[in-house]
Parts: sequence; C-alpha cells; structure tokens
Amino acid sequence: MPADMPLWLNFVVAFVIMNVLLVGMAYMTWFERKVMAAMQDRMGPTRTGPAGLLQPIADGIKLLGKEDLIPAAADKLVFFFAPLIIFVTAIVSVAVIPFGGTVEIFGADVNLFITDLNVGALYVLAFGSIGVYGIILGAYASANRFSLLGGLRAAAQVVSYEIILGLALVGVFMLSGSLSLREIMLTQQTELDLGPLALPNWFILSQPLAFVIYMIAAVAETNRAPFDLPEAETELVSGFHTEYSAFRFSFYFLGEYINMIVISLFAATLFLGGTDGPGSDAYWGLGILWLLLKTVAFLFFYVWLRTTLPRFRYDQLMGIAWKVLLPLVLLNIVVTAFIRLVGNGQVF
Amino acid sequence: MPWDVIIFYLIAAVCITSAVGVVVANNPVHAGVFLVICFLNIAATFVMMGAEFLAVVQVIVYTGAILVLVLFVLMLVDPDDLPEFHTARPVQRVVGLLLGAILLLEVGAAILSRTVTGARGDATAQNIAAAGGNTQALGRVLYSDYLLAFEVVSLVLLVGVIGAIVLALPERLGEQISITRRGTISLGHPRGTDAALPAGPAGETPMVDRETPSPTPEPTTAGGRTLIMVTDPDERTTVGTRP
Repeated sequence: MPADMPLWLNFVVAFVIMNVLLVGMAYMTWFERKVMAAMQDRMGPTRTGPAGLLQPIADGIKLLGKEDLIPAAADKLVFFFAPLIIFVTAIVSVAVIPFGGTVEIFGADVNLFITDLNVGALYVLAFGSIGVYGIILGAYASANRFSLLGGLRAAAQVVSYEIILGLALVGVFMLSGSLSLREIMLTQQTELDLGPLALPNWFILSQPLAFVIYMIAAVAETNRAPFDLPEAETELVSGFHTEYSAFRFSFYFLGEYINMIVISLFAATLFLGGTDGPGSDAYWGLGILWLLLKTVAFLFFYVWLRTTLPRFRYDQLMGIAWKVLLPLVLLNIVVTAFIRLVGNGQVF
Repeated sequence: MPWDVIIFYLIAAVCITSAVGVVVANNPVHAGVFLVICFLNIAATFVMMGAEFLAVVQVIVYTGAILVLVLFVLMLVDPDDLPEFHTARPVQRVVGLLLGAILLLEVGAAILSRTVTGARGDATAQNIAAAGGNTQALGRVLYSDYLLAFEVVSLVLLVGVIGAIVLALPERLGEQISITRRGTISLGHPRGTDAALPAGPAGETPMVDRETPSPTPEPTTAGGRTLIMVTDPDERTTVGTRP
C-alpha cells in the first residue's frame, strides 16, 4: 500500500520528477540528433561541449533570444494559450507513472510516484487527447492556410489513433484487472508459469499484438515520423506551428518531446513490467534505472523509425487506422476475453 | 468553509461562466473553446464526487473526441459569412429559452425530490468499496442490471456509424470501385462528374472541348469597367487573321 506522505513531500517528489522530465526532454533532442547522425553517417552536434552535450542548452538560449512574431491577422489570445495547452497536458500526464513502490529516504516513507489514481491509465489517455487542442487551436489562431491544414490533419489523426491506442490497452486491463498503473505494474512483477521456463509476466509476452498496435498508434498520437502529417514540411511549410517563433515555438517543441517520453514511460510500465528487472526488488534505484533503460529503448525506436521510414500519405494513414488496426485490436480484445473466461472456467 | 466546498464553487463558477460564453461568443471557435472549458470543469466536479472513471470518460469522449471534431468543422467556417447571431431568429431564441427553462425545472425537480425523500440509492461508499472500486461497480451495474439498455444504445450507435459511412460514400459504389482500380487517389469526387468539366473519352481525364465553340458570355460591368469572360486566349484579340 502507498504510504501516507505529508503534502509537502508529495510536492517535492512531483518537483523532482517534473524537473528530471524537463532535463530528459532537453537531452532527448541531443540523443535524437546523435542517433540520427550516426544512422546517416554524420557527426551530429560536436562544437558545444564534449560530444555536443551542451547543445540543448545552446538551443534553449537561442530560442529564448529570438524575436517573438505574432501574425497581424492572428487570434491573439488563442495564439498565446495554444502552445501552453500542449506543454501542460504533456507534463501533467507523468503524475500517474510509478517509478517504484514506497521506499525509505532519510527516515521518511516516500512514494516513488506522484499519485496512484485508480484510473491512471485512462488519465494518461485523457490528457493525451486534450493535448491535441494545443495543435488545432494554434493552427486556427495563426490565420495561415498551411497551419489550418496541419491542424485539421492533426485533429482527424489524433481522434482516429486515440481509439486504437485506448482499445490496444483493453487487453492489458483485462489481464491485470485494474486501471491503476501501479497495480498493472505489480501484476507484471510475478512469474509467468510455463513449465521449465521462468519468464517474467510482462504483458508484452501475453499481449504481443496489443503491444505492436500500441506502438504504431503511439507514434501517430505523438505526431512523429512516419506519421508527422500535421507538420509535413514538404507540403505544409511546417504545418500547425508555421507562424510560431521563439519561445512559443519552443513550447510546441517541449510538448512534443515530453509527450514522447511520457508515452514511452507509459509503454514501459504497461508492457515491459515497469521497474521490474534483476535486482529491482532489493534496490529501488536499480528499479528506476531499469524503467529508464526501457524508456530509452522506446525513444531509440522512435528515432530509428524517423530515420528509416518515409512519411505516409494521408489517405494511407487513415486507411491503416480504420481498416487494419481497428479490426485487429478488436480481435485482440475478443480473443483475450475468451481466453480469460476459459481460464476462469466460465466457458466449457 | 471547508476547502472542498470552496474549490467546488470555484469550479462551478468557471463552468457556468464558460457555458454562458458558449452562447454569447461571436466567434464560433471561441464558443467551441468555451465548451471545452465547460466540459473540463464538469469532469472536475466528477472527480470531486469521487467518480474518477466518469471524469476520465467525460474528458476522453466529449472533450477529446467530439469537441475536437466540432472545432474541426468550426475552423473551416469563415466568420464573415456567419449570420447575425444576436439580432435575428426570434423563433430559435424563444425555443432555446423554453428548452433551457424545461431543463432547469427537470434538474430542480430531481434535486428537490432527492432532498425531500432523502433517498440516496444504494451507491454508498461502502457498497462501492465492496465492489472493488468505482470503475468495477459501474461496470457491474452496466453489464448486469442495464444490459438491455446498453445493448440497445450500442445498436443505435452502430446504425449511426453505418449511416455516416453511407453518407460519405460517393453516389454509386461501383463508380468508386472502378476509380480505385484505375489507381487514382480521388476522395469521393470521381473524375468526370464535375459539372464544370465535360467528361473525357473514357471518363478518366477531364478534357476541355476546344473544337465546338463555347458560347461567348455576355460582357458584364463591374465597378464601371467592362469585364469580358473568355475561355480561349485568342477569342478577343485582334492579332493575326482569325476567321
């Protein structure tokens, strides 16, 4: 059971987690540039600090120092708030991700999560779905046709893939019997009984189809290549954030990368056992390390996809969601439910 | 006053203010944004009542999906083309007020009857905890006591989905299929069906017929200058010898 923490301690945990997330986002950009450079036989950033490690800071200073342009025809208030929506919703989603159980630090019982909501998994999906308002409102407020087209694409794409994303998780919910991310993680920290083989009960093993579909939908939900239609630079200049510059643009940038990190943390918790790994029972620090390693693996996968695959055509994108992924994910739910019933002895 | 009451009144005030904003706002997109704020605050009141599942579903379904599509349509509306919202349409204003009053009375009656009878149903905190939590309790009730209603609702939704697909299809399904076979990426607007363009020889390419002369349009005047509409660049020029 989670310990009863005083409120200030909860704020400390939240403060630490969110700041680590922000720094993680900054270094995600460095990681992406380095990995992409390696895959394309380039060097990537090298001038700023050793191995270009100070590049994110240089980028940040550059973005803050640029001129803040607002188009004359823009809807000023909406234009101002739209980037904040995507940034705030992205960062708030991390509140339900468990980084471990309850541990004792300096004599105080500390929960290694901000809150254990009983609908935690749906909470992440809900904030993901609010985040799209940042895109479509920003696109509308820019009073630019390229932006508007990007916003319309984002709206249709996110609504379609949200359904896939949510349904892909239904199988996981059925097996774990809970919507709380902490309980889903605890369910996976048992052993799968397969005779001589002792495998961890990670849901990637029992729900492989759901995992693959989740990964595809997650890439589309975060508007990343090859599903980055809303900001397709070959057709739409840069889509919904064409008119944004300086720190307003950086909020979109922050939001996109934090979204990627949160979705990866979420996937690691749901499908890869969260903090589960060798030695994680004894040392909670090791558990956090395992979770971060799994997250980095997912982030590497994102970058890998971006360097490998060309962008989808818009009708292909929609066709895949509704004609391929939706039937597959429904099939997954039916099969999982049936196996669950047979296992409980309620059928046959 | 305890903190939760203060927070409730804060949420309720924002909720009602934004609901008024939906009706008052001139710009349709602003009205949509007000509706988003209103729905988010309704979700917040659900959370305050301990109904986290309902709150999250409210956000995912209404805020995250339906209102996104509503804004999708509203963004395409040119604000200059809109009719005057607050001056004309007396019938709609009266009907709107009437329906609002009826709804207010219904809600009032529901609250009153509950306060008078004191009946609270069996969804007490103990019963919900015994069922294993909010989500589980709701699921049990929905799939046992209200199973028939649930299935009927899903059937109605299915009919709606099929209707939407039928509406979105081009007039003849066979036409769409033949276009797909030819490998075009037309989106429900088959070539050759555009009234402005004559059909091509095999229906695949719109050809402007240059042999038969198109009827020369009458010169129109706009702003004092004579405008001449031509379909052929050589039609009105005097260069060269043209019969």
